[in-house]
Parts: sequence; structure tokens; C-alpha cells
Amino acid sequence: MTNAYEIISRFDPDFPRKRAGQLLTDTSEFMNITYGDVIDLDGKYFLVLRDEKERSFGVEDPKYWVKRCRELSTGERKILKLVFYERFPVSMGSMEIECFRSPRKEARILDLVRGDMRFMQGYSHDDAVGNNVRVLDVVKGELLSLHIDRLEADHKTYFFEMLPDILDKFVEACRAIEFLHKHGENHGDIRRDHLWIEQGTGNYVWIDFDYTYEFQENPFGLDIFGLGNLLLFLVGKKFCTTFNIPRPDFDGKTDVSLEAADFSLLFKHRLANLRKVYPYVPHALNNVLMHFSSVSEVFYFNIGEMLEDLAPCIDEIRRGRINS
Amino acid sequence: MNPKKILIAVDASDNAARAVTYVAELLGGSTGFSITVLYIERPPNRDLYPDEASWVEAGQAQELRIRTFLQQAKSNLTGQGIAPDAVTISYVPHCQSPVNPAAQQCSIGTSIARDILQVQQQGDFGTLVIGRRGVSRAEEFLFGSVTTKVTHLAKDCTVWVVQ
Repeated sequence: MTNAYEIISRFDPDFPRKRAGQLLTDTSEFMNITYGDVIDLDGKYFLVLRDEKERSFGVEDPKYWVKRCRELSTGERKILKLVFYERFPVSMGSMEIECFRSPRKEARILDLVRGDMRFMQGYSHDDAVGNNVRVLDVVKGELLSLHIDRLEADHKTYFFEMLPDILDKFVEACRAIEFLHKHGENHGDIRRDHLWIEQGTGNYVWIDFDYTYEFQENPFGLDIFGLGNLLLFLVGKKFCTTFNIPRPDFDGKTDVSLEAADFSLLFKHRLANLRKVYPYVPHALNNVLMHFSSVSEVFYFNIGEMLEDLAPCIDEIRRGRINS
Repeated sequence: MNPKKILIAVDASDNAARAVTYVAELLGGSTGFSITVLYIERPPNRDLYPDEASWVEAGQAQELRIRTFLQQAKSNLTGQGIAPDAVTISYVPHCQSPVNPAAQQCSIGTSIARDILQVQQQGDFGTLVIGRRGVSRAEEFLFGSVTTKVTHLAKDCTVWVVQ
């Protein structure tokens, strides 16, 4: 078969063949790869359906190097990540970090985590000119952050009734990142948009490992800080900030005096000292959160240290449920 | 440990240059000291480069810059009246260096601070000199600091931190 029309006709007769595009073995010009094109990776054919989009703040940002596809021989939905060497600054609150996209790194991690369902699954294959294309299974489910947002419960109910189970799974997600660290790898971009809840199992699944940066003496610090941010979000059911605490619909204490020391090390408007607004947050759990505050004298050097502090807090919340 | 055996840990930064200048000005004209200027190789992050060739090229450019710095450091010290045979240059390659064949002693790259302290212990250096850039707390959390870690972990030696 020498063109996309023939391939689509054979494998997917229901697809509107007049929309058949190019047959590609070289994915370098990803901006020109679009709906109806077929990517040939060593004899596996992927029909391109659309560009992936990143959604934040209600805005859709197309990622032209990430293609939603259908593998024609199996009919399975796949995501193909094409090579895009991007260098860009990432703002971490008051700091700016220069980040890079590294197909090589993501491919290596995909190999490392094959069969470990705490991570997105896939493989990499070079196209005809040596571009490292990553072929990813679609994670079926929803973003953890959206799931938490949609939970219909006031904070106190959420905290005692739902959070312990969420934290159990969060601990497992932390152990997944710890597994990477033990193998000398880091995730590189731990944030709410990169942790999904898998449909059916309810497991937490990490996605997107292609970020890297020039780390110095503490190669895992950025990952640990990312986990700390996620923990602040989970415990608060949102980020408690100087913007939403004064609002009438805020469901915690508002008649409290907040100081700079109560806020995140990097995000000056994000409250770390959640016990001030939610007094039922146990001291031990609050102590974990305060490791990520601007006054912390002690930082977690590895994930194990953090989990050692966090794990007992989950039972404490469960016990608190009985007493509350 | 011999306090007159001085180890200056450098990384080709301005802070490292200041540390060298400090020692040169402090000890210029003195005798009885031996000084080693140490660099632990930290190759460019391999993942930032599209292929091996460009990574090796970046490694070569970095090595040239470092070796030039080390020679300037030696000139700075001898220029202040320290005997040339009292100054040693030590370049410890990374175990997976793109440009240097693995030496008997090489750095696995997990902690530059620990590598520096290993050299200090093995070499009987009683004085360790290191520059400090003055990182913010946030930066220290996210990326760590070689200088901070050295000061925390150092034993049986005096550490001079040159700000």
C-alpha cells in the first residue's frame, strides 16, 4: 500500500476516504500533519484525528506535536507524541525555571514503567529519519483535580468522609514517583494536570514525563515540591488563597490573621497553614503542609521522608471522623 | 587532617573565582601550604540534546571552559606568590562523561558535595574552600546547594565559605 487512501480504505472503510491525506514516514514537520493523514511507524499505521489540546483557565492551547490517532490495525485510540525540542521558562511562583522537552527522557521512562499502571503506558519508536515518536495508550478517566472540584460536599464533610481514601491513593502515587527517583529519573512536571483517575479502577495515573531541566545538587526537589503542592490542593479541596478566602462562599474560618509565614514557599498567595482556616486539620498533617511554607527550616530531602510523616495522618483523620 | 593542605572546590562560576582570589590574596607569599583546585565534572544533561553528537559537542565546549578556568585559577594563585609546585589542578571526570574516559576515580553524579568531601577525606585536606552564590530558600529547596550540603556534611576539617 503506497498511500493513505489505500490504507484507510482497507482498514477503516467507514472513514470518509475523500479526507485521506498524506502517508508519512517522516514526522519532522508536525505542524503540517493533520486530520486524515496516516503515520507509518515501521508498518503500524496511525490515522491522525486531531491535535491534542491543553486546557487551562478555560482556554484551549493546541499542542501541534501531540496527535490523537487511531491505530488502524486494531482500532485502538492512541496518542502520538512527535519530536519537539522546546525550551521554555516555567514560572514557579516567584521563581522561573528553564525547562526542556526531552523525547529521549520520556521514552526511557516509558520503558522503565512498562506494566506499572501507576503511569501512562506506551512505547517509543523512531520514524524513518530517526525522530523518537512516543505511542501512548489513552488514559481513560478524568483529571484528579476536576474530580475533586466536582465533589459535592462542604470541606468538613469532604475532609473526614472522602479525604482519607484520596490520601491513600495519593500516597501510592507518591510511591510511584519514588520508584522513578530510585531509578535515577524524575517526573519533572508534577502538577494537577498530570495526575488522572483511571475509570473503573479509580487508580491514580501519572502522565507526561518529557519535561527536564538542569538540576543541581537536589535532582528530585522539584518533584517533591510538586507533590507538596498537590497535597495542599487535596487537603484544602482547592488551593486556599488570598483571593478565595475572603469570599462569602469560602467554607472555612475567615476571621483569622494570616501572615506571610502561613503561605507557600513559592506561591505567596497560596495558604500552606490550612489549620488556620480549617481547625480540624490535625497538627501532624499541618506539619507536613508547613514543610512547603515560606518559614520552613526543614525540607523533605526525599519522598520517603514525606510519606513517613504523611501516612500516619490518614488514620488520624479516620479516627477524627468517629469523634467529629 | 592537615590544615595546611587546602582544597578549593570550583565550578567555573564567579563565586568559585572569588574563592580562588580569596585564597591567593590570603596566602600569597606564604610557604608551607599546598593547594589543590578541584573540579568535579557535571556533564550537560544528556536529555537536553537531540542526539549524542550534540551532547558530546556541548560537553567538549564545557570542558574547554572548565580547563581554561582551572589554568586561570592556578595563574591567579602563583601570580600572588604561591609556588607553582604547591598548586595542583584536579579534574575528576563524571563516570559517564561525554568527553573524558572513565578514570579510576570518577563521579557518579548523584551529589557533587559528597564527591568533594570524599576527595577532601582521602587527600587529608584540613581546609576546604568553596564559593557561595547566595541562593534563595526556594532555590535551595528545589535544586539544592552544593555549598550548603558541604557545610552540613563536612567533618574533621575547616570550611571557608567565600560569599
